[in-house]
Amino acid sequence: MTFHGYLCEVDNPKELVTLSKKVCDSGYTKFDTYSPFPIHGIDKAMGIPASILPWLSLTGCIIGLSVALILQIWTNGIDYKIPLSGKPYISLPAFIPVTFELTILFTAFFTVFGMFALNKLPTWYQPIFNNKSFKKATCSGFFLSISCLDNNFDEIKTHSFLEKAGAKNIERIEEK
Amino acid sequence: MDIINEEIQRVPQVLGKKSFKKVTDIIAKPSESPAPKWWVIGLLGSMSLAALLFSLIGYLIWDGVGVWGLNNPVGWGFAIVNFVFWVGIGHAGTLISAILFLFRQKWRTSINRFAEAMTIFAVICAGIFPGIHVGRIWAAYYLFPIPNSMAMWPNFKSALLWDVFAVSTYFTVSLLFWYVGLIPDLATFRDRATTKVKRFTYGLFALGWNGSNRHWMNYEKAYLILAAIATPLVLSVHSIVSFDFATSNLPGWHTTIFPPYFVAGAVFSGFAMVLTLLIIARKIFKLEDLITIRHLENMNKFILATGTMVGYAYAMEFFMAWYSANQYEAFAFINRAFGPYAWAYWIMVSCNVISPQFFWFKKLRTNIPIMFVISIFVNIGMWFERFVITVTSLHRDFLPSSWDYYIPTWVDIMTFVGSFGLFFTLFLLFLKYLPIISISEVKGVMEIADPHYYDHHTEDKQ
Amino acid sequence: MSQQIFPKWANTLPIIVLIVLVITLGLVVHLFWYWLSPKHLNVGYQPKQPIPFSHALHVENVGLDCRYCHSNVEKAAHSNIPATETCMNCHKQIKTDSPHIKKLTKHYENNEPIEWVKVHMLPDYVYFNHAAHTTAGVSCVQCHGQVNKMDVVYQAKPLSMGWCLECHREPEKFIWPKEKITDLNWRPTNQINLGLQLKETYNVNPGEACSVCHR
Repeated sequence: MTFHGYLCEVDNPKELVTLSKKVCDSGYTKFDTYSPFPIHGIDKAMGIPASILPWLSLTGCIIGLSVALILQIWTNGIDYKIPLSGKPYISLPAFIPVTFELTILFTAFFTVFGMFALNKLPTWYQPIFNNKSFKKATCSGFFLSISCLDNNFDEIKTHSFLEKAGAKNIERIEEK
Repeated sequence: MDIINEEIQRVPQVLGKKSFKKVTDIIAKPSESPAPKWWVIGLLGSMSLAALLFSLIGYLIWDGVGVWGLNNPVGWGFAIVNFVFWVGIGHAGTLISAILFLFRQKWRTSINRFAEAMTIFAVICAGIFPGIHVGRIWAAYYLFPIPNSMAMWPNFKSALLWDVFAVSTYFTVSLLFWYVGLIPDLATFRDRATTKVKRFTYGLFALGWNGSNRHWMNYEKAYLILAAIATPLVLSVHSIVSFDFATSNLPGWHTTIFPPYFVAGAVFSGFAMVLTLLIIARKIFKLEDLITIRHLENMNKFILATGTMVGYAYAMEFFMAWYSANQYEAFAFINRAFGPYAWAYWIMVSCNVISPQFFWFKKLRTNIPIMFVISIFVNIGMWFERFVITVTSLHRDFLPSSWDYYIPTWVDIMTFVGSFGLFFTLFLLFLKYLPIISISEVKGVMEIADPHYYDHHTEDKQ
Repeated sequence: MSQQIFPKWANTLPIIVLIVLVITLGLVVHLFWYWLSPKHLNVGYQPKQPIPFSHALHVENVGLDCRYCHSNVEKAAHSNIPATETCMNCHKQIKTDSPHIKKLTKHYENNEPIEWVKVHMLPDYVYFNHAAHTTAGVSCVQCHGQVNKMDVVYQAKPLSMGWCLECHREPEKFIWPKEKITDLNWRPTNQINLGLQLKETYNVNPGEACSVCHR
């Protein structure tokens, strides 16, 4: 039996925001909240810094742009020059459409797979799924978990802290 | 202006007081109840049409493009017409999703999933046609920059190659956009699933989503960025499809108005198709509270606007033919309206330009039977638009000795019919097995989703 | 525990899938670049001929020049397969009791050509001129390999478009003096210097536009 931390529930988005603010203010960092939809303003309450995803997208954008230009200039302009449609071998205006499309494609790949990487998806097996009540998290439940790896974590103190903060159904996250 | 905005704000996105659980229940219902009779019959019907499509493709590859009705001046027939038709239909999905998302049009949440699915299935149907039109299908890999024994590379200066990149990028990005949107809902389905197979399948594609707000943060950013890049993408794709025609030197094709005209037409036909399908699905699944009459009315306004733009483009083509004083251009357009294919031209004009004008009247654009009929007319008209552009421009060549009349063969027609089979097969499977409305997004725009709501309504519980 | 749908090891699957994906991509490129190319499909093609004529014997032992039989190679677009009469110039007297020569004689007497099986095939849409190549100093060996060592002729080079282009782009790497082109054992000591010099002398200027070969 490995102990991973506590899972608790609240009734609505507002209570989740209030609770995460309390948890954050008490110095916990390794905690998370779960809801069926993103809650407005909860990132501030939880003290999460802004997502770095846009930078990944920008990287994808630049890579896509360079790949497209290098591909077209090298294949049509350097490796095999074929005189076609009266255009120069390296005809940048004629390369615009493909460059644009590949830039978008690479940006999309970096955005989606970047998001997967930041969220560590796919992770099909998670200890938290052992808690039966947690199934509600994707339907109508609002949950908060505190990991036992947190520096402030104490099996008894954290439990009573959560109780006092108004959390309901405090459960242990465990793994066999 | 502010008054109007306020009025819009006040119309609730979800009618009636509903809890989060109730919304999930409504949307998950079709996938949890046993398959209704109409669904089974519909699926069998469309699957047999899809089988017809694939057997005709087999016949085409076996026998060659001679089984089609193409002749000497008309080298582009049904295959290209169907391609542009399906790609056009595939435009509303991403447009509704991406552009309306960027403009924070909350009403989009009830229709975006549906429209995106339609996009993907339509683009699949579209992709088939140029694929089989290449003739020697085993040489289709020439389209991609793969090192080969000929030391050849694709010609990146060709509009046809731009099209390959545009359509495949569009398909990939639309698929990613759709799938990213689906992940939280798949997790909802996973957690409600009762059978082992469902738990496994939904679980597999839900990727272990747990609704963590740390994840939602990155997720929302990803969705926003995807919407932001998909918007110019939508506009670029049909522009590039129009380049297939516009960069040639043929009177009737060689026009600078083509890109915006094609984009307007694509949005027009896409909205019409979404409307047709949505009206049926709304009725069958009793989603009247989630897809309200206001949603449908907004779509009709789009159809009216884009239909009028298309009508303007038709008129402008004639104006340019006259104003340019180019006799070939003038002939092409007079021939279009009064030549051998005049019947097709006037079907197009009456369906595309005249029929949407009824939507000027609020009574008509909020009347479901009327909007259903008009949406069907628009679908027909937009198919004829592509037929008119492709065939009438080609059938009168520069050399009168090569003039000919294009008549599709039964293979042409049945392949087109078969593509509807493929479309509806995919669509029916989608209706049955996936959430047809975005569960998490609908919840997100409900009043009780806003933490501030509880400042005033302390008695309410979720 | 029953709440879990997937076992713990499932979390390593993404990495495995990623590796498989990269390998598959590599294989697809390899498929088109090698497996579907003439390098893999055509090289080594060695059909059985109606009469087991040995090039090795006739060139190395007898000492015939290529042009004795393929007499048009320097003059015409098409390099001819010799007529039966050419064989009979010698074989009227030589080895007349061999069963193969008897077969040859029968063809000659009945005035029927021998149906030799073509080994080196180019597609119909490629216009290849033998004379243009031999007069530019392209040796037989460059395209047909060491036929002088072959008992049964086989295709030694891929004859693919990419392979043609290697020489069209850098002819100096391949061309020899005209008088050496049928000496299949000869090798220059400094190919590049010689090639550059010959390129000048013979005015070798091969194109690589489509219409050079696809007319």
